[in-house]
Amino acid sequence: MELVIKNLCKTYSNGVKALDSLSLEISNGMFGLLGPNGAGKSSLMRTLATLQEADSGTIYLNDINILENPIELRKILGYLPQEFGVYPKITAKQLLDHLAILKGITNNKERIELVNFLLQKVNLYEKRNKSVKGFSGGMKQRIGIAQALIGNPKLIIVDEPTAGLDPGERNRFHNLLADVAEDVIIILSTHIVEDVRELCQNMAIMNQGKLICKGRPQHVIDELNDKVWQKLIGRNELEEYSNEHMIISNKMVGGKPLIHVLSDIKPGVGFTLVPPTLEDVFFSKINTTREVV
Amino acid sequence: MFKTFFLKEISMGIKRPMTYIFFSIFTIIATIGVVNENIVFGGAVGNVLKNAPHIITIYVANMSIFGLLIATAYFNNAALRDYQNHFDEIIFSTPIHKAGYFFGRFFGALFLSTIPLLGVFLGFLIGSNMGPEEGMMNANRVGDLQLNVFVNNYFLYVLPNMFVSGAIIYAIALKWKSTIISFIATVIIIIGYLVTGTFLTDINTEYLAAITDMLGVRAYQIDSKYFTSVEKNTNVISVNGWLFINRIIWVIIALVIIVSSYISFSFIQKNKKAEKEKKASKKDQTIKIYSLPRVQSSFNFMTSIKQFISFFKINFYTILKSNTFKIMLIVGALILINKLLNGFDFYGVKSYHVTYKMLDFNRPICTIVGMIMLVFFSGELVWKERSSNINGVIDGSPHSSIVLLLAKITSLIVINVVFDVFLILISISYQLLSGYTSPDIHVYVLDFIYSGLLMYIAWSCILVFIQIIINHKYISYFISIVLLFLFEFVIVDALGIESFMLNLGFTPNYQYSDMNGFSEALISKNWFSLYWILFGLLLITIGSLLWIRGSLKRIKDRIKSAKKHFTKKYALILITIVHLFFLTTSFVYYNTQIINPYKSVNEIEVMQVSYEKKYKKYENTPQPKFGDVTYKVDIYPKERNLLAKTHISLLNKTNATIDSLHYSISRYYAKEKWDIVLKIPNAKLVLDDKELGYQIYKLDTPLQPGSKIDIVIDAVYKSQGFENTVSNLRVAKNGTFIECSYILPTIGYDKNNELMDQNDRKKYNFPSRKRMATLNANDDINTKQNYFTEGESDWVNVETIISTSSNQIAIAPGTLIKEWRANGRSYFKYKNDHSSLNFVNFMSAEYKVSRKKWNGIDLEVYYHKDHDYNIDMMLDAIEESLKYYTKNFGPYVHNQARIIEIPRYYNFAQAFPGTMPYTEGGGFTTDLSNKNDNNVIEAIIAHEMAHQYWAHQIVGANMQGATMLSESFSEYAALMVMKNRIKDDSKMKQYLNYDFEKYLKGRSAETEKELPLYKVENQGYIHYGKGSVVLYALQDYIGEKKMNTALKTFLDEYKYKESPYPTTHDFLRHLKPQVPDSLNYLITDWIKEITLYDYRLNNADYKRKGNGKYEVSMDIEAYKIKVDSLGTETKVKQHDWVDIGVYRDTDKKHLIYSKRVLFTDEKMNFSFEVDTIPAKAVIDPKRLLIERVIDDNSKEF
Repeated sequence: MELVIKNLCKTYSNGVKALDSLSLEISNGMFGLLGPNGAGKSSLMRTLATLQEADSGTIYLNDINILENPIELRKILGYLPQEFGVYPKITAKQLLDHLAILKGITNNKERIELVNFLLQKVNLYEKRNKSVKGFSGGMKQRIGIAQALIGNPKLIIVDEPTAGLDPGERNRFHNLLADVAEDVIIILSTHIVEDVRELCQNMAIMNQGKLICKGRPQHVIDELNDKVWQKLIGRNELEEYSNEHMIISNKMVGGKPLIHVLSDIKPGVGFTLVPPTLEDVFFSKINTTREVV
Repeated sequence: MFKTFFLKEISMGIKRPMTYIFFSIFTIIATIGVVNENIVFGGAVGNVLKNAPHIITIYVANMSIFGLLIATAYFNNAALRDYQNHFDEIIFSTPIHKAGYFFGRFFGALFLSTIPLLGVFLGFLIGSNMGPEEGMMNANRVGDLQLNVFVNNYFLYVLPNMFVSGAIIYAIALKWKSTIISFIATVIIIIGYLVTGTFLTDINTEYLAAITDMLGVRAYQIDSKYFTSVEKNTNVISVNGWLFINRIIWVIIALVIIVSSYISFSFIQKNKKAEKEKKASKKDQTIKIYSLPRVQSSFNFMTSIKQFISFFKINFYTILKSNTFKIMLIVGALILINKLLNGFDFYGVKSYHVTYKMLDFNRPICTIVGMIMLVFFSGELVWKERSSNINGVIDGSPHSSIVLLLAKITSLIVINVVFDVFLILISISYQLLSGYTSPDIHVYVLDFIYSGLLMYIAWSCILVFIQIIINHKYISYFISIVLLFLFEFVIVDALGIESFMLNLGFTPNYQYSDMNGFSEALISKNWFSLYWILFGLLLITIGSLLWIRGSLKRIKDRIKSAKKHFTKKYALILITIVHLFFLTTSFVYYNTQIINPYKSVNEIEVMQVSYEKKYKKYENTPQPKFGDVTYKVDIYPKERNLLAKTHISLLNKTNATIDSLHYSISRYYAKEKWDIVLKIPNAKLVLDDKELGYQIYKLDTPLQPGSKIDIVIDAVYKSQGFENTVSNLRVAKNGTFIECSYILPTIGYDKNNELMDQNDRKKYNFPSRKRMATLNANDDINTKQNYFTEGESDWVNVETIISTSSNQIAIAPGTLIKEWRANGRSYFKYKNDHSSLNFVNFMSAEYKVSRKKWNGIDLEVYYHKDHDYNIDMMLDAIEESLKYYTKNFGPYVHNQARIIEIPRYYNFAQAFPGTMPYTEGGGFTTDLSNKNDNNVIEAIIAHEMAHQYWAHQIVGANMQGATMLSESFSEYAALMVMKNRIKDDSKMKQYLNYDFEKYLKGRSAETEKELPLYKVENQGYIHYGKGSVVLYALQDYIGEKKMNTALKTFLDEYKYKESPYPTTHDFLRHLKPQVPDSLNYLITDWIKEITLYDYRLNNADYKRKGNGKYEVSMDIEAYKIKVDSLGTETKVKQHDWVDIGVYRDTDKKHLIYSKRVLFTDEKMNFSFEVDTIPAKAVIDPKRLLIERVIDDNSKEF
């Protein structure tokens, strides 16, 4: 499986450039897509899921032209949108069954088996005859994940899947994805950096509709070796430091800001070299301005 | 704080396009309403101006029903905006005041919601100025607009209606926080309005309608029901009448609602119901090593079918289980039950629960509520995925949009089917419970299919298409409703297009009759249904391309995506549907326009104009009258064909020699088209205007005065194919009923072909037309004609040979002389026993016959086999009538008196010589098992029997007053038959109430002018309504005997006498000697002038006197009013004898004292003694005098 995106552009009617001549190639396995809010991740995902027209550019999955022939892609697509709602008055089982039929699983026996299996996998088998509308956010999200796996999808797109899941559910979800990721492409959009590091063979970071970084997670991290410095500073010193250094992140530790600074040499007294994390990569890529995140 | 929220709400609303869209729509509707002559909404006809205050009020009131939807949008938005944007937690944690927030928003929304309705005012302004200026209408059709009309309507309708409905919706929105529930509330309000309409069907319950209708429409309807055209043009609504009471009640209710809503409103969120998480089962769900079960995806036709079924189930269940639908079911059931319990009113009498009556109740509910459901659920279904946020997943799944669409449409249809069947089951249960044990299940089912299912299919497609194209739920709702309710209005009324091919989604209506089934309209209805269904499918096929999948917003994107879906397969489907649609269109067009062409109202108008211009000059050309006649009529019920051959003689009764014969062979005013061919021996056709239907024959030898010739007239009606609307129901498969006038030409110039409407005549510069010749005993022309035949014939001998299929009985007036069979058909020969008017009916149906003899006269009832409920009662009624009439008026000249059932298309009974057709919808199914009910069967049969004297023995000259001599006298005679049988003044009063209503309502709807009784110009409300009331009162004042003496001497003088025919003057000559001088004023007041009374009992009390008796004292206010022909009223001096009295009980059952006293002043006091304690005092206890308001005539002590 090979997903090839070339020069994809999309401008909304309010003038926002959601996708700005974006090109990307993705092959089998899990692919993590990082980016801040409004980076264009969801636009890309929706376009890939055939739910949005692009202004220009092409997308091919093997030899399926997604933009020209959405119908073919839908047959092998698993999609969990960012916001996943459910029909009122419909039980979990009915909903999955319905979606399985939509995905062409016409054999009743197979379908029942699959639905039951998925319900067990997302730990909702006990609640299969309850109305989904009444489920909690996490439970709904699990149904969403289950439905994305129906019907031998070759391309699975999951937009912010772990938001709202507790750690246990998150683990279960990761396992589930890893299981099916063998010979399919899974694109995972998230802003939880950890998810990407743990799961993805490949990743990319998007900002303002552009791809600003791609590669294997470890590889990307390695690029920052010996360049990330940290220091615990006073709260009133933050402005001063941000003027002088390229701060890629700051977070509070024990009530004081702990800043990370990108620098080839030691930026000053009190800074210590730390091994870079994916988070550093993320912040260093998107904070092109000197604005402190 | 209040100001901030108030202004903020308004400024936000002002920015929304919705406000302007709605405003312009109302403006346009009102403008068109004013400038278009064909739109007579609210009764803007005749002397009523197009922009009369009354008409403006009717528009404002009715538009405020549509305005409700707008109010819902504003109030719901004001209440829920913060919740829906999840802004509530933010805004409610800021230091704002509850009152400022709550009322600021409310009044802001109130202000906004009144804006669109102001469009009606603007429309009237524009229309009143533009119409006459642009020459679209005559300047005298509009009057000056007064500012106070607008102001009063704003404060009495627009503002209160928006306030009341707003309060309810705002409170509901805040309580349930759901847009859907708010809309349901609106729908319930609208349905409530419709339900209150059922109270209007009987005068005893109409006050309930006035109070319960939240919108005040009914209240005004009742307030204005007796308005004459002058009052409609001048009366501006103000704070009085039922409307005022209604407004007060509802504003108070709304205040209570809004205040309690305010009290219960709180910024603090109620604790959400804690979700009861069931503990997971004890067994630990261990994660097994697994792989997804192997499944096979396949995409073929079977997949699409399964997808369709699955989509259908989901969509159908979600609606079926929704509260909205449950509420609709309950609402539908309640309306139906309400109608079943209160409906069927004719003189307060109900009918048996035959199936077609049930259809009359449940079908309109299914149509109206069904349409509301279709509109509402079409939006719900189209937006279902998006509103439940599952659109991403669904849209990205591999189904074809058309499958989803078809599933949605199917669920929409099936939902309505469920509703429909539910109501049918209620109807059947009701029939069974009320003892009607043979409901016609097949009739229910067929009616459901023809009038329900097929319509649901067509409209589902259309409405879903609107939702797809507009892609905005609420704007689509509005457009859908406008299309549903106003499209027909524009197409049919404004543009005069009658073809159902252009009347979106509508099909011809049939009326189910037990006799004639679904009638001939069924075939065309079904073809039109097919036509609209294919049209709908075509729309949906196109719509499926534009179906929003994913987050397409811009039109450009939608077109781009549509192009992508335009595949070969799609093109094939599209082409197929286009072809089918085209074929159906052609076939329907061929049948309804080519082989069965019809003239539009405008085309007929043009013909009327040329006819009058060309041939008016022949109006007074002397022509021979029709003499003795033999009809030969062959009816072919199955083929719906009728062939007639008439042998008739022409008599020259003039003093002139006649050398040319003139005939009009087309009647523009009749829908039925007959081919009429005259065969006149020794004559040449010198003028044959085929288009206008005028012929002149030149006789080789002129016809001398007193001589005659015999001619033959062929008339043919042949039905073929199907028509847009059935033109000739008269020739039916079972229940043919035609009059001889259909198969005869009109002699000479036919005045009835002229333009009738005075405003139309002005447009073409024709002089205004007299409805009837002025009452004048010296009028040589019109006294020589009787009004029945309009001078075409006098008393003639009639013979009929009539044939029909062997399973039917054919009937014509006269004694049955011979009956035989030939060619597999039945033949009958009838001959009138006495010379009569040339007024003959030809009928044929499968009849059962019930017979009885009275004094050698055959009493017969011909009826449909299932309608045997009241046959004995009918025979008795004939007998009772004969007894009274032979005793008081003179001998009955026929050897038979027949009542013959006719299909319910004819909502009447009619008297031909000895032969009286009576509708199946009337007496044949009326439920008179309760002996206390008004015996309407007897009343009607006695009326028709009376016509055997008053019309068939004596007939008025062709001028004003003629119908008093036939209709009023027959009404009087029928009342006397009733009175002598029941001998109960209070029951007679109860019955006469309906005649009062007929008169008072009728004069309000008068388009030209009201005339005194003796000059009546064939105006039903005068000759029936006022005639009954006045003649009944007169016999009460002068005595029944004297009244009958007057009638009998009049009859004896003119019975079967040829010209000059009598006029009302002649009757008054006979009446005068019977009236004592003291009561002479009654003839003037009641018969020669229009007089109304206005009496009020201001105070009444009684004292116990020493002798054990009680002295009653009554303070009376009294006015006597004379009305001129336009309705202008003047108070006049009184000198009138009026009854006053007291009842023992408050129910006005037992009158213990009554006295006729002389009213002379506006304020008077009367006192008298009674023996027992009185309960209620009353003026005019028998209700003999014509008063509009009678509630103030009585007072409890």
